[in-house]
Amino acid sequence: MGHFDRTLELIDQLQHAGTAAAVCEKLLGVTSGFGLTALMAGTVPQPGTPRNRQKDHVLLCDWPAEWLERYVARNYVDHDPVVSHMKQLQAPFQWREASQGIRIGKSGGDVMGDAGEFKLRDGLAFPLITLDGQIVMVSLGGEAVELSGAEFGLVSLVSTYAIGRAMQLHTMAGKTIDHVELTPRERECLQWAAVGKSEWEISQILGISEHTSEKHLLNAKSKLGAVNRVQAVAEAIRRGYIN
Amino acid sequence: MLFSLTTQELMERPDLWEAVHRLRYRVFVEEMGWTDLQRPDGLEIDQFDHDEAVHQIVIRNGELAGYQRMLPTTRAHLLTDVLADLYEGTPPSGPNVYELTRYAVAPGFRDGRRGVSTVGTELIAGFVEWGLKRNVNQVIIEFEPMWVLRALQLHFLATPLGYQRTYGNQQVVATLLTFNEHTLDVVRSRRNHFAPVLARGYPDMLGQRRAS
Repeated sequence: MGHFDRTLELIDQLQHAGTAAAVCEKLLGVTSGFGLTALMAGTVPQPGTPRNRQKDHVLLCDWPAEWLERYVARNYVDHDPVVSHMKQLQAPFQWREASQGIRIGKSGGDVMGDAGEFKLRDGLAFPLITLDGQIVMVSLGGEAVELSGAEFGLVSLVSTYAIGRAMQLHTMAGKTIDHVELTPRERECLQWAAVGKSEWEISQILGISEHTSEKHLLNAKSKLGAVNRVQAVAEAIRRGYIN
Repeated sequence: MLFSLTTQELMERPDLWEAVHRLRYRVFVEEMGWTDLQRPDGLEIDQFDHDEAVHQIVIRNGELAGYQRMLPTTRAHLLTDVLADLYEGTPPSGPNVYELTRYAVAPGFRDGRRGVSTVGTELIAGFVEWGLKRNVNQVIIEFEPMWVLRALQLHFLATPLGYQRTYGNQQVVATLLTFNEHTLDVVRSRRNHFAPVLARGYPDMLGQRRAS
């Protein structure tokens, strides 16, 4: 069987996988051939996302369980050089480039050192963009990672199918994805609404039109599934987006 | 509203015809840098604008906002004639398979930085509706790999037809998308717009806003 036929077969299996765990297993079955034995994929939480909401962003995860616990408990997502490199670059890269290319603060060094303890010494990461413009970050790691440009193409394509399948499973399970992505402006407007400012006042404070501040508040309201502004503010506080 | 016109019908409306080829030039030659298609008149026209091509047009506020072209796979099309290095084996063809080419959203209608605009999703809803009406359930698209995820999010069944290649500074992968009524439901609910988008007849003259 030709190389391409094998890829097709894998992608076909992925699209019929019934659970996120099965998707992970199929994908890692392909990538472990290149030394990539652990996987984490999800939308990137905005800095300051409360810890109890960070796991909602995960789509696929086959990382050592203890590492995930530590990652969340120590709020590593806000310091991880791989995550910040991704946000700047918005293109594929190898982990080692993230630690070489940019100056890592002490906290960033801790993250990478800690990852090494769990046999995650190198890896590759790449962004995918969803329909509504959210970035899904895919990060695959292992002890020693070697792959050519063409192999990288294969890994990223098969990963895309895996993430797509995971997202389908999510919607089919009727789970409305319970994490909400508010833009900085929406948060600002809510923050001011929470202290009783009107749309007009908010527009004056932020230097935007009244129509725009109204739009931000309406968007935030619908994202938070609220029926009115009071509930939107309450929901944003409960979720820790504003205080 | 999305209008689906044959090449003949498009040519009967010089204002639309010119707007279509000018938008294609703007997007594919000027933005994407497909220099092979350069022409002094600023119109992008190729050998596939033949009498069996179907031109799908989205009009907003009297302006051409989006465009895509559907080509039958029962005769020469881009994948077989121009992009032959994008497929392995035998590419799919038949009366139920069309090739979607020249998908373009006009610059003024691309809301949001990274997401797909409402004109973009109207084009998608449009070709699915159009296909289901005439027993077309598969389209071949040559697109950037990031579109694979979006297609899966909309519950298309996707199959790569070959390896991804680099053209200029773009990655391209030929993909077969299969769809059914369920796909249409998902596309419509993602758009939060459940009415059909496919309109009959011709749009009004460009530049004329319909009073509403």
